[in-house]
Amino acid sequence: MSNEPEASPPTGTAPNGVKRREFLKVLGVGTAATAMVGCTSEKVERLIPYLVSPDQTVPGVSTYYATTCRECSAACGVIAETRDGRTIKLEGNPDHPVNRGALCARGQAALQGLYNPDRYRGPMVRRNGQLQSVGWDEALQLFAQKLGETRSRGGAGNAVFVNQHESGSFPGFLDTWLAGFGMPAHLSYDAGADHAVIAANRQSYGVAWPRLDFHAARLVVSIGADFLDSWGAMVPQQLDFADARADHDNSPRLIYVGPRRSLTGLNADQWIDCRPGSEMAIVRMLAGQLPAEAAAQATGVSAPVLAAFAREFAAATSSMVIAGGGGVDGLEVALAANALNQSRGSVGVTIKPNEGYLGFDRMAAPAELRALAERMNAGGVPLLMVRGANPAFALPKSVGFAAAMAKVPFKVSFSSYPDETSELADLILPDHHTLEQWGDAEPVRGTISLQQPTMDPVFDTRATSDLLIAAAKKDPGSAARYPMTDYRSWLIGRFPGGAAGLAAALPRGIASGSLGEPTTARPVPAVRTAPPIDQSSGNMYLVVYPHPFLGDGRGANKPWLQEIPDPVTKICWQTVAEMNPATAEKMGLANGDLVTVQTSAGSLTLPVLRYPGTQRDTVAIGTGRGHTHAGRYAKAGFNPLEILPLAEDRAGGVAFVSTKANVSKAGGYAQIVTTEGSARQHGRGIGQAIAIADLQAGRPGHDTGASNVAEVAANAGTEAPAGDHPAGAEQGEEMPGDAPHQFLPGLRSPVANDAQGEQGDPKSKDKGMYDPNHWSGMAKRRWAMTVDLARCTGCAACVSACYAENNIPTVGADWQVGKILPDRTGFGANLLRSREMAWIRIERYYEGGEDGGADFDTRFVPMMCQQCGNAPCEPVCPVYATYHSPDGLNVQVYNRCVGTRYCSNNCPYKVRYFNWFGYGEPARPQYAFPEPLNWQLNPDVTVRGKGVMEKCTFCVQRIREAENRAAAEKRPLKPDEFTTACAAGCPSRAIVFGDAADESWTVTQLAKDARAYHVFEELNTFTAVVYLKKVMHPAPSSSGGA
Amino acid sequence: MATLTQPLPARDEPRRPNIATADVQLPAVKDYEQVDREIVGTLHPTVAWFIGLGVAVFFLLIGIAAWMYQIYSGLGVAGYNPPVMWGVYIITFVFWVGIGHAGTLISAILYLFRAGFRTTIYRCAEAMTVFAVMTAGLFPILHLGRPWKFFWLIPYPNWRYIWPQFKSPLVWDVFAILTYLTISSTFLYVGLIPDIAVLRDRENISPMRKRIFSVLSLGWRNTDSEWRHFARAYLFLAAFSTPLVLSVHSVVSFDFAMSLVPGWHTTIFAPYFVAGAIFSGIGMVFTIIIPLRKFFGLRHYVTINHLDAAAKLALFTSLLVGCAYMNEWFVAWFSGNEFEKAFFANRIWGQWWWASAILYTCNMVLPLSLFSQKLRRTPAWLFIISFTINIGMWFERFVIVVPSLSHEFEPWQWTSYRPTWVDYAILAGSFGWFSMWFLLFIKQLPVIAISEVKEIVPPKLRKAHPHGIDPAGRHFEYEADTPGEFS
Repeated sequence: MSNEPEASPPTGTAPNGVKRREFLKVLGVGTAATAMVGCTSEKVERLIPYLVSPDQTVPGVSTYYATTCRECSAACGVIAETRDGRTIKLEGNPDHPVNRGALCARGQAALQGLYNPDRYRGPMVRRNGQLQSVGWDEALQLFAQKLGETRSRGGAGNAVFVNQHESGSFPGFLDTWLAGFGMPAHLSYDAGADHAVIAANRQSYGVAWPRLDFHAARLVVSIGADFLDSWGAMVPQQLDFADARADHDNSPRLIYVGPRRSLTGLNADQWIDCRPGSEMAIVRMLAGQLPAEAAAQATGVSAPVLAAFAREFAAATSSMVIAGGGGVDGLEVALAANALNQSRGSVGVTIKPNEGYLGFDRMAAPAELRALAERMNAGGVPLLMVRGANPAFALPKSVGFAAAMAKVPFKVSFSSYPDETSELADLILPDHHTLEQWGDAEPVRGTISLQQPTMDPVFDTRATSDLLIAAAKKDPGSAARYPMTDYRSWLIGRFPGGAAGLAAALPRGIASGSLGEPTTARPVPAVRTAPPIDQSSGNMYLVVYPHPFLGDGRGANKPWLQEIPDPVTKICWQTVAEMNPATAEKMGLANGDLVTVQTSAGSLTLPVLRYPGTQRDTVAIGTGRGHTHAGRYAKAGFNPLEILPLAEDRAGGVAFVSTKANVSKAGGYAQIVTTEGSARQHGRGIGQAIAIADLQAGRPGHDTGASNVAEVAANAGTEAPAGDHPAGAEQGEEMPGDAPHQFLPGLRSPVANDAQGEQGDPKSKDKGMYDPNHWSGMAKRRWAMTVDLARCTGCAACVSACYAENNIPTVGADWQVGKILPDRTGFGANLLRSREMAWIRIERYYEGGEDGGADFDTRFVPMMCQQCGNAPCEPVCPVYATYHSPDGLNVQVYNRCVGTRYCSNNCPYKVRYFNWFGYGEPARPQYAFPEPLNWQLNPDVTVRGKGVMEKCTFCVQRIREAENRAAAEKRPLKPDEFTTACAAGCPSRAIVFGDAADESWTVTQLAKDARAYHVFEELNTFTAVVYLKKVMHPAPSSSGGA
Repeated sequence: MATLTQPLPARDEPRRPNIATADVQLPAVKDYEQVDREIVGTLHPTVAWFIGLGVAVFFLLIGIAAWMYQIYSGLGVAGYNPPVMWGVYIITFVFWVGIGHAGTLISAILYLFRAGFRTTIYRCAEAMTVFAVMTAGLFPILHLGRPWKFFWLIPYPNWRYIWPQFKSPLVWDVFAILTYLTISSTFLYVGLIPDIAVLRDRENISPMRKRIFSVLSLGWRNTDSEWRHFARAYLFLAAFSTPLVLSVHSVVSFDFAMSLVPGWHTTIFAPYFVAGAIFSGIGMVFTIIIPLRKFFGLRHYVTINHLDAAAKLALFTSLLVGCAYMNEWFVAWFSGNEFEKAFFANRIWGQWWWASAILYTCNMVLPLSLFSQKLRRTPAWLFIISFTINIGMWFERFVIVVPSLSHEFEPWQWTSYRPTWVDYAILAGSFGWFSMWFLLFIKQLPVIAISEVKEIVPPKLRKAHPHGIDPAGRHFEYEADTPGEFS
């Protein structure tokens, strides 16, 4: 029985029925873009990954494997595209019940974990204080010996195994194995999980994480529950939320309560900027237990706002209240919120416990880790085993986990990567990456999500599950219970239908059935609860929040996640102290001024960012950065957990909001590393919006990106008289009385006028390929895209998908600029000069709230090449490096580009990116793909050389692949047969791609929406990207009846 | 005896009837021998000249080293800050092209207009033109991402059948610059032929030099027919060059005007650039000629009257560019274009206020001092003004290039710009390159046109009875600039 993973029939991106030989024939003839970039490896033996290829693989043709993402606890299904033995791209599994084909930024970046250049190459042993490489036999022998010693000395009962939290069979397998050695059950640790909420949900609903049915709710109140950032099962929640918001007649209004406007908060229609720790007052007010005036007193929010809020909540026909933990009273707030849902009958309607996510069961509370640290400190732990988790970093430093580890005689780490915990270990037995090993999960009841290797291991690692079996075989007491050769055999033994059943299920990646793992909660340990926030402990509340991408620090060594700007603050490679602009002004702090944030646990000096989404008395710092031992990219930034005093909520979770801090000007300055130019769109109509009342009434609406929430709300329902427009609303405005976009000039087809040379001559009869009747039929098509701003949450999953698909280099590491520009050093130095290369960026504009008030609206605008029909970039290129393809694309020919950069100057959308350095040249410090990150490079896409311009291509390699496949199968392209990387990954389904000249494609229908507009339409660029206006949901009291 | 500087007539003295005729008078130059002796005498190398040349070459080497470093590392070592994709190199390109305009203006247009004051400064200005265009021509290549592929901008037959994009102003640039370089160097050379013949005749030390001068002078024998042909050729070339003065910088301005960038997309750019170019060129002429007439002892050739007349031209072009600036503001306001308005507000009051302040001070305010005749006739002041004009004109291009790109349509992509040491090194290198050529030129070939000066020097015959002959052949008496000048 081979260990060969089962290939799934290509799904999603590659539908059934590809005849590979035909495909290859076409590929060889028709596609010039199959540069074998991955072949630039220095190792000669890697030149041709397969000398004798396995049966299933054809060189140059992708194989797709369905497996399970393990980047967070939700266990989404992914399809891994593997080319010539290397996994190059992850897509969501469309059949998977959790993510339904979408994939978030962290999931996309799993590849950079797989190919991380800092991964352990093989097992290591600490000798004379130094970690040294050893062979697996020796390492395994040492491990078995230590296990035996621990047991023989009677210490087995005190040995501890800490595992990265995951659902599926492995936790049970692990506990059985541990029991075989007389060891207690393992601690399943997820630093990013919200323990207070999980505990409250269990208490109220009986499940750890219910499904949130946004579609059934008309009012969603999120009390610090960042369901779009990192709170719970992010992708399915985002899918549900976006779907609910897209159904305009029944869409919910979202009110966000909390001291910091997270990504969820920015997507909310209203923000109640309460003081940290005062959330309980809001919940009690909503429950009618506290008058608005008293709540206003407690929260610092004005009483009329709260009164209106309470009235709206009381009047809402169906509501959902979700609370995020984080405070010292996190459990109580979550319980009170759940009680509110129960009392209003929302459970089972908007909150669906029966459809809950199982990925959060059996999680150990951080309090248990804290207790473990205390036991270790007391010398009570003879053997510590850690897999995946990094408690030395992810727990507040005040817990003292790292220091306590020094008291443990023998520490084993199964980590794939160096991190703060594994650096202290005596023995490192590196695990496979999740994309290299077998496993399973039960993300929702009744569905098993399968995990299979998608390629051979990159390094000399071994799956911990296999290793445990091997270790057990060496132990006379356990050997009998482990007759199987490896973990896969063990899984087959449990799988319904055995090997055949598994083989049948693998191509889809899911199977119905249950793993039968217990879902009971672990008992809550003794908790060191903190008192409410001491007002005298400082001058500002300290809010520590998890970074949406980096989470508890797991993603920090993945350059994509460092480089893609935080969706909220747009900060890259940097940790900042976020403060309200008004507060910063009062303290005389400009962006980038250094402040010292001092708590009882320590102090941190870091630059200030004026972020209007911060409550006035609050300083907010994101986690995830500031590693010391997690690899080359992870060194950027600071770790706020170093100054977080030890405090736990009553569920045993870390209280991230538990203290005030003394914030004082430190003197000095560090430039803010951000991709944001101006946070305001200055009335230019880039991100436009329409009030729901106007939309429903079929009115064009007033808002063109110039006016703020209040204005839109005030004007909703009133027809503007002709010639009287709101001030500053000249741009991109639709005149009242205009038929709503019967004419979208950008989507005209054919595009013969865009031909060049003689074929572009209006009098010419020979239009060549630009003639729609040309036999190639290229000019019959007009590739186009719609971006629905009512769906887009700004999560940047599209950006990460684009990085993965199009070989986009990251440029922000400090050695990528270092000595070359002495005036700009440190992480993000290249970004200080705006040299990021992201082909798609998420622009985040604020509307309103200029006075520092909480009533500002946010417009997220994904901005990529608009593929203009009348492109300003094309005629200015002196060498034809950019020209117009017959199917409407602005094509960029890298080999022809000499680098005048005129095209970028003339691009109104500023979506062209220049290769300032040789990011693709291994010998340079700027090299963006240090071995083996370069294994991820997409062979269908050129790695751009120094001195050439690049930009979004509408994933032209996917277009041509699909066309060639259709041609090989002698059939026309099917509508919506394929899509671009950004559209495929989008967890909001905001991006739709297709042929606008063909009515049967979805994009054509969407472009007819009344909300459709082009950005800078007045420039006559005739863009192929159609934006659909954001829909605003003003408070009912002010909108005149929404 | 005549004095080197000619004081203004005292208030009670009768004014000269026509001050323009004073421009053509060189009272202190007595005869042809003196002209030959004094001008050819400047060709002897001096220690100071060697030091100057050394400094120029040193700066050039710095520039070359910086460019090599940039080619190796990538353009990222320069201060580009997307979307500011053009920076110091394009600014400096336009700067040098502009400087290259005064030469042809002075030698060709003023020749056609019979402006006498050009006689003694035109050679210098023309050489400056050629070297400035040689300098400018480097920058479009220098600023390329892949400079080794620059020849793709030139239409040449190739088996790929790929031609340049003739819609691109950058291709027009290639033609404009190459044409201008060809014509201006031809014009310079043709004007030099009789002078080279003088050098040939006076060369009696180095047979090699004599041989080279012989070849370069094309066997000039000073015959009437040669003079007739020479005069026609020179007139023809002057007529041919004249439209180029207007066209080249218009084409350079199209690099900007043809785009849709706010602040660039404007129809006034062509005349505005031409006026600015002439303005900057005259500034550079002052920067060069004022030290030159001092160190070479040529103050009786390039007289105060000449400087005065040239300063008037500078004043006039300053008023022209001032008008253009004000027109830009007006149009930005009058057009109602929000992008344009926002851009101009940012340019003048926003992040680039300091650059605009330098520009307007140097190009609009300070040159107004030239309304004062006294200052116009003060070489030290003219020298200072010429410097501020050079600085102001460099900043004019800075203000056109950088603030526009940094404040375009997309607010999310508004940025700033700061050059790096590589930008500065290459900028310095360009001055080194220009100075090197110019310094080499002034010690090999006469900086003042010997033959043309001789045309206005009274022949010996006339010494006793000074008079001139007007174009109609009528004799007239010279007026004395100073009492007793001809006694």
